[in-house]
Amino acid sequence: MNVLAFAWRSLIRQPARSILGILGVAAVGALLFDMLLLSEGLVLSMRDLLDRLGYDVRVMSTDSIPRPGPDLADAAPTAAQIAKLPSVRTVVTVRTEAAHLVREGVSVRAALVGISGRPRPWTVLRGRDIAGAGDVVINDSAARALQASPGTTITLSAFCSRDDAAPPPRRLRVAGVAEFPFDTPDNAGAGLDAADLAEACAQSAEAADYLLVTSAGDPERAAADIAALRPDLLVLSNEQALGQLQQRGFTYFRQISTVLTAVTVSFALLLITVLLTVSVNQRLGEVAALRALGFSQRRVVLDVLCESALIIGIGGVLSLPLGALLAAWLDAILKQMPGLPAALHFFVFRPDALVVHAGLLAATAILAAAYPMRIVARLPIASTLRNEVIS
Amino acid sequence: MSDAVVAAQRISRVFPMPAGPVVAVCDVTLTVAAGEHIAIRGPSGCGKSTLLHMLGCVDAPSSGTLVFDRRDVSTLDDRARSLLRLRHIGFVFQRFFLLPMLTAAENVELPQAEAGAPKRERRARSLELLAYVGLGARADHRPAQLSGGEMQRVAIARALANRPRLLLADEPTGELDQTTGEQVAALLDRVNADGTALVIVTHDPVLASRARRVLTMRDGRIDHEAAR
Repeated sequence: MNVLAFAWRSLIRQPARSILGILGVAAVGALLFDMLLLSEGLVLSMRDLLDRLGYDVRVMSTDSIPRPGPDLADAAPTAAQIAKLPSVRTVVTVRTEAAHLVREGVSVRAALVGISGRPRPWTVLRGRDIAGAGDVVINDSAARALQASPGTTITLSAFCSRDDAAPPPRRLRVAGVAEFPFDTPDNAGAGLDAADLAEACAQSAEAADYLLVTSAGDPERAAADIAALRPDLLVLSNEQALGQLQQRGFTYFRQISTVLTAVTVSFALLLITVLLTVSVNQRLGEVAALRALGFSQRRVVLDVLCESALIIGIGGVLSLPLGALLAAWLDAILKQMPGLPAALHFFVFRPDALVVHAGLLAATAILAAAYPMRIVARLPIASTLRNEVIS
Repeated sequence: MSDAVVAAQRISRVFPMPAGPVVAVCDVTLTVAAGEHIAIRGPSGCGKSTLLHMLGCVDAPSSGTLVFDRRDVSTLDDRARSLLRLRHIGFVFQRFFLLPMLTAAENVELPQAEAGAPKRERRARSLELLAYVGLGARADHRPAQLSGGEMQRVAIARALANRPRLLLADEPTGELDQTTGEQVAALLDRVNADGTALVIVTHDPVLASRARRVLTMRDGRIDHEAAR
């Protein structure tokens, strides 16, 4: 009988205690798994959203992200300059505003994004994309609220945030229904040509909030070239923008996850140490007898280590589906926070989380077994046998 | 003695205690020859079990020399002593110490597995030994399904698993009624008759009387020796 089979028999000898231990590890492991998903979840989710936009460099006049700051007054000529760089494929100007979309007496407040070219920061779900002036794509929320569909005409009344004077309403044709990566749940949104939006706001078509750039293949190089061209502007590749987000807004999640990871691992450690110590103390006589029969110190120590590994291994495997369910539930709760994009997630699976999870549990199995292993390693055979008879 | 299995030369065992050292075994010289049958008697606390543990290399003398199979045990590290016990010494305990989660056959297989015997070989040997102790039909029974006498017989089969030269038994009938004790005693006689040296520590005068040499201990010393 090999060491692992022997450890398994020892475990099933006291099924209730072993099941409790395994369930405890499963619960702790699930929390640990979730903390690992949380530690990088927002960053990964944000990277996914940025990638889905189709751009890999953004150019702004301020480092205030994620919301852009003051206008780039010379956005159009700047975009034209940048577009000439060999490391750049395309440049678009982006303007964001708020507006009322009205149809047949129904009015919804909507977030508008005006864009000067392609690729578009949205994905058309139904109908077609905007083809020029007078076209608009709206998201599902707006379509539902206005009962609009491709081909419908709606009225746009912009109340542009930097201008209190209400410009005259504009009639736009709904070209399609689109998905916007940064849509918030139930909030209406619309996309149109930047020039249309500037006109609706009675503002200069030269200005924009920021520029979005698609590199020719190397975002970091494109960002460096643009920064060299316009050192007065803030230029960030997606990776650099994520780096800033990690350092600022998302650092709390990492800290929380680190603390909770340490707590859960410590709990698992104590749980298994206590279980194994009690188990070993109850069979000191048997261990001493095995040693007297010629079992080596190494062998009896390995038996304890294997028991620990089995409890933590089985619990660890069970913890994965449990953790996935828990993560989905917690994610749904956290996503109820107002103003969050619907596509943003707090808990995001990544393969290396599995590796870290397994590594932490393996280390826990070894550490948890350390004390009971020490007990059996140092067990005085003769006096233990004598004490067992006396007791 | 050339055919000595184990030879103790003036061995003592002293336990350091808070109230002062306790001498459990004092200056004992004893040789166990191959195939010998020795019983050690004496009142509780006289050092019988401690002497047995030293002869079985599970405890080390505080002084004196212990030679097992021409090897000075004091020069062996823990691993070597474990190996020596595994291959050459069998132990039978008062409380049996069978592993409750294993069947009788698996309990007997265990020391063979530790010694590296192939699975098929150790299974055959286990069944052979269980038949030898009269429990061939109980191979797949767990200890909880066996009587005290049956458990001790399985423990004897386990002790014989690796064909030891020396079998040490510490109060092997201590937990058994008289009839069952006699059956176990008869089995031990048979083991000895088949060539295994046997040292039994016992309070039971009937069990002791079956030995060819009976040593009586008092205060850690061999007080009297009788041969049959």
